Amino acid sequence: MLIADEFFLIAHNDSRGKARLHPAATGLGLAGALLGELVLFGHVTVANGLVTVIDRRPPADALSHTVLDQLIGEPQHQEIRTWLAFLARSSTTSVGERLTRAGVLRRQESRRLLRTTVSFVPVDLNAVAWPATRLRALLERPDPPAVPDAVLLGLVTAAGLSREVLWSAGPRAQHRLGVLVPALPPPLRELVAHTEAAVGAAVLRGIP
Amino acid sequence: MPPTSRLERPSNVSDALASGRLGVPSVIFFVLSAAAPLTVVAGVVTTGYAVTGVTGMPLAFLAVAAVLALFSVGYVAMARRVENAGAFYAYVSRGIGRPAGVGAAWVALIAYNALQVGLYGAIGAAAAPVFGTLFGVEPHWALVALVAWALVALLGLLRVDVNGLVLAVLLIAEIVVIVVFDLGQLTNPAGGSVSLDALSPANLVAPGAGALLVLAMTGFVGFESAVVFSEESKDPKRTVPLATYLSVVIIAGLYALSSWTMTVATGPENVSQQAGEQSVALIFNLAAAHFGDTVVTIGQALFMTSVLAAMISFHNTTARYAFALGRERVLPAAFGQTSPRTGSPRVASLAQSVLGLVVIVLYTVNGWDPVLQLFYWAGAGGGFGVLLLIATTSVAVIAFFARTATPENLWRRAVAPGLASVALVAVISVAVANFATLLGVAPDSPLRWAVPAVYPVAALLGVLWGVLLRRNRPEVYARIGLGAQSAAAAVLPGPGQPAPVRAGAGR
Repeated sequence: MLIADEFFLIAHNDSRGKARLHPAATGLGLAGALLGELVLFGHVTVANGLVTVIDRRPPADALSHTVLDQLIGEPQHQEIRTWLAFLARSSTTSVGERLTRAGVLRRQESRRLLRTTVSFVPVDLNAVAWPATRLRALLERPDPPAVPDAVLLGLVTAAGLSREVLWSAGPRAQHRLGVLVPALPPPLRELVAHTEAAVGAAVLRGIP
Repeated sequence: MPPTSRLERPSNVSDALASGRLGVPSVIFFVLSAAAPLTVVAGVVTTGYAVTGVTGMPLAFLAVAAVLALFSVGYVAMARRVENAGAFYAYVSRGIGRPAGVGAAWVALIAYNALQVGLYGAIGAAAAPVFGTLFGVEPHWALVALVAWALVALLGLLRVDVNGLVLAVLLIAEIVVIVVFDLGQLTNPAGGSVSLDALSPANLVAPGAGALLVLAMTGFVGFESAVVFSEESKDPKRTVPLATYLSVVIIAGLYALSSWTMTVATGPENVSQQAGEQSVALIFNLAAAHFGDTVVTIGQALFMTSVLAAMISFHNTTARYAFALGRERVLPAAFGQTSPRTGSPRVASLAQSVLGLVVIVLYTVNGWDPVLQLFYWAGAGGGFGVLLLIATTSVAVIAFFARTATPENLWRRAVAPGLASVALVAVISVAVANFATLLGVAPDSPLRWAVPAVYPVAALLGVLWGVLLRRNRPEVYARIGLGAQSAAAAVLPGPGQPAPVRAGAGR
């Protein structure tokens, strides 16, 4: 499972697929995770606040492929904050659909007061609760987690969701979470930091 | 403009991000709704006349508007180059230095908290006539204040910002009521003729005029917030400056007109005495003389909603201030946390609510007067704090442009901020000289020095704290003044270095 998928499930860790995280932070966190996937696959890199494509070959995943195409198609935009803001607009839907294609979620449309809302409900409750449990177990272990897991943990913290992962975890897990992000490779560390800044800026603007 | 605008090929990214951009009217609406005009006209102006006994209020609004317009020239020019542009201390950090920035942040926290908490003193008086008309009972002010407090605390935690459309409707209704009342006062002058005495410049050099300038300043608080929308506006170089200037002009025109017509209706020589007897009911009593009961009741109801809206808006502003400081780790990191489900700055919001409750209980237990000793004193004290902040920011703007090479012209980077600084320092000195008049206490009262002294003491402690941070926690020191952006600054080479100016497609 890719990191954006796991982020989505942690942010919607609920039997009815209801959000545990406010929409702005969910969108930005998922945008960070989608860019993070491309960094982890070696297609793009992040430095000095700019995203640069370094490998134009198509990634295996269809959604990653789409995001990379967008990055290649608009080389005039390189600011990571521009891309976070742009991808955040559609990331919740696109990742939800990716999980639907994988059979983890089921798309559900409900009509209420003339408005159609789309939500993604879990097919198997255990599968949906698994990522948060897995991350918690990782933090309890003494050896450092793999880089993708560390990025995911960083993004979860940046979006303000760390309690979702940390509940019932000891102070040592809390400490490990704190030292994870500074130990990431620079492009990923910067990605996590910009995601956190974007989430904070959204709170300051007061836009839900 | 970014190179995107010159490209012929349409950009999905630019189009998508531009779709939600704000124009000048939206930004002005946001600024004015936080200013809550009826709260100022019915509350601050009347109490001000009663306490100070000076009639130069209309001119004070115009004078302060002129100074603020001058200040805004450099302020909006610097705003595009500052992270966390909504907060004055960010300018001070960048212009004068980070320790001074922490000092300014402390001052801002006190001033905005005072302005918010003070409103709990007005809501009782604002609600009493409405409840009296509707139910025939006038509840105790503390009861109303506690209900309002619970509402504000809850909305703050749920992060239900009052819907923009609701605010816009209320704002327009408030302005219409104010203008109608003003016309009523103007067409029914005391003694049969319209008196221009209150507009005589002699009033601004009369003893006690400094007090009026501080009160006028209180009425303008909120004009600084247009710069928050730099990134969301259609054209940051035009939208934000225009919205800031227009807000100042609209506020000044409305308040100057209202405070003048009030003296016309009562007669300039009687305004202080009548305001003293009738307090916040004055403009409604004046209106009752020539309009029907319905109009007056609508006015009173709008006064109540105006105070409520101001409370909610100031609560959120203050909580976000503390949130930004928590993100920088200048306040404990807990203040920078948000509630996951709603995204509200939870700890900052709770702290603000606890302070409000303590103040309401304190005033109830001691039986202090809510309108004069809470609403008016906290409003005047908070307004004075904001005045100090603006003056410091004005100096910081000059210092910033003196050190940073920019394409701004001499007028914007030096002349206008320089003139504004001189004017602001002059306003502060007469204000300090007239502080006893401002508070309406005897010239030898300890409050006369205690209230203005709070700010220099807080600023000094803040500067010391900043110096300590530099020595003991350099990583926190580097983040001062960056607000939410401080998270990103921590990983960039050369922490705290000015980010390149990025206009256009946001970031």
